[in-house]
Amino acid sequence: MVHLPGPLRGRAGRRASVSAHGATVREVIDDLERQFPGMRFHLCEEAGVLRPFVNIFVGSDNVRDLQGLETPVPDGASVYVLHSVAGGSPGL
Amino acid sequence: MAPRRRYPKGTIVLTVGTKRGLFLLTSRDRQSWKTEGPYRGGHRVFHATLDLRDGPRLFAADNGDFFGSFLRYSDDFGRTWVEPRQGIAFAEGSGLSLKNIWVIEPGRASEPHTVYCGVDPAALFVSHDGGQTWEMNQGLQAHPTRTKWQPGAGGLCLNSIVMHPSNPRRMWIAISAVGVMRTDDGGQSWLFCNKGTRADFLPDKYPEFGQCVHRLLGHPTNPDMLYQQNHCSVYASENAGNTWTEIRANLPSDFGFPMAMDVHHPDTLYTIVEDPEGRANFGDQFTVYRTQNAGRRWEHLTKGLPKGQAVRLGVLRHGMCADSLDPCGVYVGTNTGQLFASRNRGDSWKMIADYLPSIYSVSAAVL
Repeated sequence: MVHLPGPLRGRAGRRASVSAHGATVREVIDDLERQFPGMRFHLCEEAGVLRPFVNIFVGSDNVRDLQGLETPVPDGASVYVLHSVAGGSPGL
Repeated sequence: MAPRRRYPKGTIVLTVGTKRGLFLLTSRDRQSWKTEGPYRGGHRVFHATLDLRDGPRLFAADNGDFFGSFLRYSDDFGRTWVEPRQGIAFAEGSGLSLKNIWVIEPGRASEPHTVYCGVDPAALFVSHDGGQTWEMNQGLQAHPTRTKWQPGAGGLCLNSIVMHPSNPRRMWIAISAVGVMRTDDGGQSWLFCNKGTRADFLPDKYPEFGQCVHRLLGHPTNPDMLYQQNHCSVYASENAGNTWTEIRANLPSDFGFPMAMDVHHPDTLYTIVEDPEGRANFGDQFTVYRTQNAGRRWEHLTKGLPKGQAVRLGVLRHGMCADSLDPCGVYVGTNTGQLFASRNRGDSWKMIADYLPSIYSVSAAVL
């Protein structure tokens, strides 16, 4: 299951959790995009990298600390999409 | 389904983009105002404009903090919003990623479904179907100097779009910190129009490009006439941007961001110059500056505007506008959330909203 933060639930039929499949985080995002067109743009910049304030966890591990979008997603793993604690950032 | 929101003909609608959403202020007489919103609450709305050419369509530059920037539009004054079928984004593989949407400009009256949009990193997008689908102008991206363009503090933002009123092949854009550019072939190619404008922050003070233009305005009846508020003074061009003349005259500072025009008296311009260090009003009096002779002399407009040792108000590049009535109304939003209005061309002012989030933009439309 992929657990979505509040601002993205409107894109997914107001669901907090959705089912998505893939062997890696990138493939899971591809599946999310197939189901909910436009979801990829929320998560990734056009250049193909995660947005700066978007964090994706596989289980309890932040994929930035692993292999990024190529991080493997084991069968049955929970994937969490969260935004950073970015308060105080000059741009925000 | 909620009934479609309507306002009486003649209503003045101010669209106020802020750091935390979009507000609408409406008035029949420009004396009493009703505030509605926030719409897109929590989002940074850099710019919003109400396009009246084909029925009221409200466009907003909806820059999210975390999950991307989107142009959206509303046909019911903000109650519901539509995301374009093909939104504003760079092509995958281009190496570019959209940071912020800076300005949305309805096209000419003769092309009622055309809308332009400027973004950071500097690019011009156009829609020919009222905002449903967008495509990037390729000529600007292919400009031979593109890799040398440097951002200003706010980013590499395309912040102003000016159309020639009758020649569909000619238009101007302003990019901070690149300068003014013009196309004469419908956007296939772009040339620099920066002769005579300074870039004090560069070794060469008068480069071909690299100027930090904060706001560019066109003239309603003389399409060769342009004005700009620049990082390094205020300028006018009488020849479509080929050359510029400084019109700072008696302004107390050459640094400012916004600029507005009385379209019925286009020699009448408004600007706000600031202390470049403090990025707020010069001295203790918050002042709007008006010229009625195209910049030969500037009047200090202060009646009804705050004064005091602790008054330090900043106004961003889209934070001031004039409406299309005669005498025109002038509107100024501050980066501390006050909105000031004048219904008599700036002669006197009153605050019509306070405690708004930091104001990024103010646009006026008369229904």
